[in-house]
Amino acid sequence: MTDFFKMIFDYIGIFFILYLIGYSSFLFLSVTVGSSTLYQVKRRNKLKNELHQDYYVPVSIVVPAYNEEVTIEASIRSLLALEYKLYEIIIVDDGSSDNTSAVLQNAFHMQKVSRPIQRRIACQQEEAIYETYEFKVPITLIRKKNGGKADALNMGINASKYPYFICMDADSVLQYDSLEKIVRPVLEEGNVVAVGGAVRPCNGTEIQDGHVISYHMPSKILPCMQVLEYDRSFLASRILFDKFNGSIIISGAFGLFKKSVVIAAGGYDSSTMGEDMELVVKLHVFCREHNMDYRIRYATDAICWTQAPESLRDLCKQRRRWHIGLFQSMTRHRRMLMNPKYGLVGCISYLYFLIYELLSPYIEIFGIFTIALAFAVDLINVPFMILFFLIYVLYSSILSLTAFFARIHTIDLKLTPMDVIKAVGLCALELSCLRFILAWVRATALFGYKKKKNAWGKIERKQIKFR
Amino acid sequence: MGVEVMIYIYGAICFSMIIFNIVYGILMRRSEPRMNKKIKRLQKKIDVQFENIRAGKPVDSKHLNYLEHKCKHVNYLIAFNEILNGMIEKENVVYSQYLYQIRSVILYLAVSYQKKENMQAGYFSYFLIKYAKKTQLPIDSIQDILLKYVEKDNFYCRVNALDALYAYGNTDNVVEALKIQDDQKVFVHEKILTEGLLSFSGSHDELIAHLWKDFNQFSVHTQLAICNYIRFYSGKYKKEMLEILQDERQDKELRLSAIRYFGKYTDDSALKILLAFAKDKDPAHWEYANVAVSSLARYSGQEVVDTLKDALHSSNWYVRYSAAISLEAHHVDFSDLIDIVAGNDRYAREMLMYRLETAQLQKARG
Repeated sequence: MTDFFKMIFDYIGIFFILYLIGYSSFLFLSVTVGSSTLYQVKRRNKLKNELHQDYYVPVSIVVPAYNEEVTIEASIRSLLALEYKLYEIIIVDDGSSDNTSAVLQNAFHMQKVSRPIQRRIACQQEEAIYETYEFKVPITLIRKKNGGKADALNMGINASKYPYFICMDADSVLQYDSLEKIVRPVLEEGNVVAVGGAVRPCNGTEIQDGHVISYHMPSKILPCMQVLEYDRSFLASRILFDKFNGSIIISGAFGLFKKSVVIAAGGYDSSTMGEDMELVVKLHVFCREHNMDYRIRYATDAICWTQAPESLRDLCKQRRRWHIGLFQSMTRHRRMLMNPKYGLVGCISYLYFLIYELLSPYIEIFGIFTIALAFAVDLINVPFMILFFLIYVLYSSILSLTAFFARIHTIDLKLTPMDVIKAVGLCALELSCLRFILAWVRATALFGYKKKKNAWGKIERKQIKFR
Repeated sequence: MGVEVMIYIYGAICFSMIIFNIVYGILMRRSEPRMNKKIKRLQKKIDVQFENIRAGKPVDSKHLNYLEHKCKHVNYLIAFNEILNGMIEKENVVYSQYLYQIRSVILYLAVSYQKKENMQAGYFSYFLIKYAKKTQLPIDSIQDILLKYVEKDNFYCRVNALDALYAYGNTDNVVEALKIQDDQKVFVHEKILTEGLLSFSGSHDELIAHLWKDFNQFSVHTQLAICNYIRFYSGKYKKEMLEILQDERQDKELRLSAIRYFGKYTDDSALKILLAFAKDKDPAHWEYANVAVSSLARYSGQEVVDTLKDALHSSNWYVRYSAAISLEAHHVDFSDLIDIVAGNDRYAREMLMYRLETAQLQKARG
């Protein structure tokens, strides 16, 4: 019996060695490439290798909203403070049960109009349309029947007047120069169909007219750990994927898209929960199947501040939603896997997301069960296991901190010693505890997910400190 | 054993990352005071030369050597730029004299930075953009060097060098630079080219004439930028634009640009073609119809109004929208539109009503 277990554990051991080599190599590569890119961007800006004149590409900002009466006014005011000239704001109220529309109508003196909407992508019927021209740029509010976030975005695309649109969350705040920065890749390369912005947790940050006036690590532990996780997992890996046109996620909180290509590809898919990832994967598929020369870029300096969930319940809800979205996109486009037709997107990006994002919670939980089982049959070297775990925590913490400090250094934010202590202390906690809690949440996310189709994933919102 | 080696390798990488973070943190803390020191030191030397100029003496040759030696390093060039930037408003005459007298330094630096990496070359071009006019460098001496900068296969270096050439305002150089950037090695968006040409500090008429003479030597991409530029500055190219408009073999965007040209500068010969575009019901040609309908806002006559009213029935939303705006520009009497308002075409009616509403909202804003 012991020999049998030994043999099983040997195979499992080989599997985990290969798994960890892949994961750690990716992590090291992404943090190294990501950090060096950030430093390079900083140097580029210091040496004025940037566009000096105002090259305005007209942009429509689409803000889908559902029960956002608390944050919507501040968000729209932040959009009006953007240092950009040629844009319009379109808010799509997806049948909110609160006073989202009323708040907007009152705050921005909006008047009802009988605007005809060109339906180039299918979406639910509009109930009323309001407009105002009293501000720097035109603002449109469309109140429609509830159909989910993707449906609201499709309505916004249909109503938009300009050739590029930006999708963003109603509870996020764009930095004053974010439009200029997110549009820049379009001017740098002629074939850009989408650009992802950098999404950062704003907990602990005070923002005035789109400018950060004070930056601190959040006071609560959970958002603090998310700040570190965002830098290590999202920022660094997205920069790496960008190097070979392999980005398959653009956060729904801030992304720019070429409208004609999105419409040709069929717009957002309202049957999925992760409509943001689904659209980007769909764009890859569409462009490659139509032999289009295309680029999907990531703009590290186009910044969107968003609220990270402050309670574990909300965080779990968010991650569950992300995981379901990931599952839906990956299964829908499974033909991409290792398919040479899709180039490096199919061979690297898809494979990475399959193994290290979609399957990783199951693999990690399986690993923990294996450890427990091995412990039960006395086939584990406990001191070595602890040492190995400590090495994992140590190395990963260093990587987290490198990505974190690279971001801090390159945007000239000043941290207090307390912030540094928090960052150093909490990265170990994030890697040794939160990661496993979230692995469990993600592993159980797919149970009964079909019932939640089209539902808006809501987490408790606070008014953003926007002045 | 292999795994252990990997752990050690990754450990070494982690260790170097820690060292890097610490060293970078220290350097970052020191960088500002170090730059301030550089600025102070340089400022002192420049102040002495300003005194000399005020006293009617020339800039000391030692100072020129000092600048050449120091500003070869990009951090000193940044410091130098900071100082010049701060003085630009203060003493205009002395300042201009100073810049004029350090021309040899600028020329020396132009040669020096040409050999440096693209980012530094890009910074030097940026430096030139700011002081091009003041230094009054003999154009010939710096043109070849700047054209070499345009040749570099780096986006920002090219754009900065082009901007510097626009700032110098020499027609031949700009045309030559546009030809060089047209080598397809680096994409420069037509908006950047058009905006750049608009910032040209020399004679626009002369530049347009020269660009048009060599028009066929450019790629369609650059031709489009040139057409858009001409639209902003000259109404003297109607005949040439008409040729583009009528030539079906021409690129779609070029023809659309020509239609826009006639939306700004009215022309009787173009009107017929614009009307034909506006009447075209082929869904594949909606972009021509849309731009033509917008351009017709500047043309008068019953045929134009009838065509615009007809365009309100288009199956394309954008054509209907543009038609409604153009009709508004014609100040068409409401009674003339009653057939649409009371008609069976819901789409045409809705669009017209919507435009009336938005026009009121816009008027209310003032």
